[in-house]
Amino acid sequence: MTTQVVHHTRASISRNRVVARRDFLKGISVAALAAGGLSWTDLLSLQAGELRRRGMACITLWMGGGPSQFETFSPLERHENGGGTKSIATAVPGIRFADSLPEMAKLAKECAVIRSMTSKEGNHVRAAYLLHTGYLPTPTVKYPALGAVAAHQLADKACELPSYVRIGRSGLSDSAGGFLGVEFDPFVLGKADRPPENTAPATTNDRFQSRQQLLARMEADYASSGGAEQVADHRKLYDQASRMIMSRQMRAFDLAQEPEKMRTAYGEGAFASGCLMARRLVEEGVTFVEVTLGGWDTHGDNFNQTRKLAEQVDRPMAQLIADLKQRGMLERTLVVWMGEFGRTPKVNARSGRDHYPQAFNVVLAGGGVRGGQVIGRVTPDGAKVADRPVTVPDLFRSFCHSLKINPDAEQMTPIGRPIKIVDGGKVVNELFG
Amino acid sequence: MKHRCKLPFVLLVVAGLAAALISDSASAADDLARVAAEVDRLLGEEALRGKPLAPPVDDAAYLRRISLDIVGEPPGPAEITSFVLDPAPDKRRRMVDQLLTNPQYGQNWARYWRDVIMARRSDERALVRAGNSATVYLTEQFNKGAGWDQIARSLVTATGDVRHEGSTALLFAQEGKPEETAAEAARVLLGFELQCAQCHNHPYDDWKREQFHEFAAFFPRVVVRPLPNDIVQNFEITSLEKSGGGGKNKAKAEHYMPDLKNPQAQGTLMQPVFFLSGQALPPGMTDKQRRQTLARWITARENPWFAKAYVNRVWAELLGRGFYETVDDLGAKRKCAAPRTVEYLSQRFVENGYDLRWLLRTISSTAAYQRASKSRGESDATPFTAVVIQPLRSDVLFSALTSALGANELESAAAANPKNKNAAYGRNGPRFVFEQVFGFDPSVPREEVSASISQALLLMNGPQLSHGLKGDNPQGMLGKLLLSESHDDLVATELYLRTLSREPSEKELAVVIEHVHSTSKRSAAFEDVLWALINSAEFRQRR
Repeated sequence: MTTQVVHHTRASISRNRVVARRDFLKGISVAALAAGGLSWTDLLSLQAGELRRRGMACITLWMGGGPSQFETFSPLERHENGGGTKSIATAVPGIRFADSLPEMAKLAKECAVIRSMTSKEGNHVRAAYLLHTGYLPTPTVKYPALGAVAAHQLADKACELPSYVRIGRSGLSDSAGGFLGVEFDPFVLGKADRPPENTAPATTNDRFQSRQQLLARMEADYASSGGAEQVADHRKLYDQASRMIMSRQMRAFDLAQEPEKMRTAYGEGAFASGCLMARRLVEEGVTFVEVTLGGWDTHGDNFNQTRKLAEQVDRPMAQLIADLKQRGMLERTLVVWMGEFGRTPKVNARSGRDHYPQAFNVVLAGGGVRGGQVIGRVTPDGAKVADRPVTVPDLFRSFCHSLKINPDAEQMTPIGRPIKIVDGGKVVNELFG
Repeated sequence: MKHRCKLPFVLLVVAGLAAALISDSASAADDLARVAAEVDRLLGEEALRGKPLAPPVDDAAYLRRISLDIVGEPPGPAEITSFVLDPAPDKRRRMVDQLLTNPQYGQNWARYWRDVIMARRSDERALVRAGNSATVYLTEQFNKGAGWDQIARSLVTATGDVRHEGSTALLFAQEGKPEETAAEAARVLLGFELQCAQCHNHPYDDWKREQFHEFAAFFPRVVVRPLPNDIVQNFEITSLEKSGGGGKNKAKAEHYMPDLKNPQAQGTLMQPVFFLSGQALPPGMTDKQRRQTLARWITARENPWFAKAYVNRVWAELLGRGFYETVDDLGAKRKCAAPRTVEYLSQRFVENGYDLRWLLRTISSTAAYQRASKSRGESDATPFTAVVIQPLRSDVLFSALTSALGANELESAAAANPKNKNAAYGRNGPRFVFEQVFGFDPSVPREEVSASISQALLLMNGPQLSHGLKGDNPQGMLGKLLLSESHDDLVATELYLRTLSREPSEKELAVVIEHVHSTSKRSAAFEDVLWALINSAEFRQRR
């Protein structure tokens, strides 16, 4: 067996200036990989950490607004800060979830709950940026989101769908490609229950192709008289877009192709459809899918609101993990549940909880993560991390570990400044032990 | 008639008035030319330093540029032809004057500022509920010639129903929260990025955490109150004093700087102090007193940053690059490509009543503005040697599309649809949908604004656009054109003028004609050409 694995490195692609693009191809035998003839470090040294790790994928369930840890994965039943939220036993003795997550409780063996996430950023926009990129926003460098990094590092070139897809809008910036450039921005779908907008050509396919050619010919003159950069960037985008909509893989966006039984298993609602579509997309070769569920900014009426939200998450998330497992995809698909921060232990005068980055939760499953465990501990009032603090760089290093991305690999900004994929932090080893 | 006067008297008066007007406008023009020349001179000394300059922009490209910049829409084919053929030496200046009397001028700049404010909204509801009233309010202000100082004061002191009082936008977008409002007031009105000082002393500036919270102490008594429900939930901005004051609002009466080590504690009581001037208010002032005083201090002539921030933004929009590269991160320690130039232009701007029309007239009169354009990559080394090619803002691109396709009625028809919930706010229809896909934060450096696959898909396949392209629809733009014009090269020229505001080059014309000849159906061939034009890189940009 001598199938060639294509390695594709884009050393420095920038947004509006294509500085230098180095594509190099390197073939190694898949048989050698499969036989385990090469260790991870061998692979690293082979291609300076730029090897593509075939098939690794990630699905992030983004809880926009900052989900309350107390009403989800860390109920505080015996403390007044718990606010009366009841807990239930899970499949793992000693681990309890809020009673609004019965399906997830059954799957606790697959999940690692980090209860000691900690950061200092309590502003939505900045914290969402932090939990997407691993960096705080600065005016000077636009950091790429993890999805963009994963697309850049892992994308399957044979896949004609965008390698980074976001389902559902929640006020997040769509230019998450950062300094990696336009082609690493997420492809955003408002909703999963209908195909993405404008993906059906307005004409016959032949005419669509002929229009593309006409466009290229008509733009040649402008390109040669000063517009080269603009035209080249534009061309790249249009090529990508046309290749995508002409592809048979577009079927991944069509939930109607799923058996009714499967749709029922995921449950109802936009978030459920998003989870099902995420699985279809990953199955088709998409590297990174983010499914968003907004509304977690519960400054008022926290208990009713979070119950409704948790109910929207419970079944779809549990079914997603179960479905991936059943299809043998869970080992190479990391599933992450997180938001930008948690909520205050103290309930405010409006029955709400405010922003709280000091101690919050992230839940991981699949992608080599050892389930059935809780990492870290908070004080009985939920206010402080009592044991095993996990910082955002620690978390991002762990994501990289799971996805087999070298976190110390440097990526070039447009001005040629090398930036590490993750700056500082340590892998949370317990996750993988 | 009762009021008939003696003819010679009337003539005399008319002649006198005309003479006064002419000499007035002549001296105004002189003054403008003088300021513009001085800007160019200073720029030459500070920034250009003898570097090679791009040649002056040709008339057609200039007309497209100035039209997009002032009224947010490209010129029509007839306008282009008559402008290019006009031999008058002052035609560019006259065109600017003419565009500035078009009400779309106010609307275009209102939309720009609405986007500046809304792009950083903390409250999603603001976009739909206050987006339209903000546009309406600002349009009116710009069109009636209100100074930016006056507008800025109203943004700080606003009260009332957010659906009707557009000046509430800045406050409502931040839910009236003191810290967010303070950060946004500093960013939008002063060009200062204070946000980081909320939690720690500013890493590369002198701003201390205390200063941020002293500034936030101007806003603790702003109240966002839900109004009785009619069709949809609505809000008003009011003052703590007016909303009853007591109860759960009591704690809100003052601003406290949180204790980072003990976030549960009340924190330190802060008095309102304006970080730029050190001016302070005594304790216990009402909301009205706090905000009105702050509005005065921000817009005081002694505060140079207020004018500079504005001048820098407008310059950046027009030239494609600001004196300070990031329009909302100014300050004494920031790199400025031409400090004396921006200083000079800002002072003249203040003397001329903070008038946007004056500023647009002046900047567009400079040689710097009238240079040919280059892409950002090519013009990075020395700023202002060429105008930088910019992507069009969503509203401008939408207007360019509708005017190219002659589909202006599209918008109004959809806006009148009462079934759309957003119709209650005037935020619906294709323009709003388009904005969801093409909108971007105008404060972000333009090189970071990227085009997305969704945008390409909409322009390639959007059903409404496809309908607008129809060549066999005798009611449509292309259908009419094909019926009335039998010469293919003239049809091609007309389509180029409608989309790119220029005639096709010989090579381009040859490509088009070849395509038409190789396609069996004439209308279909030109649909393809029009499709390619609106899908071209050039169409989406301002050169």
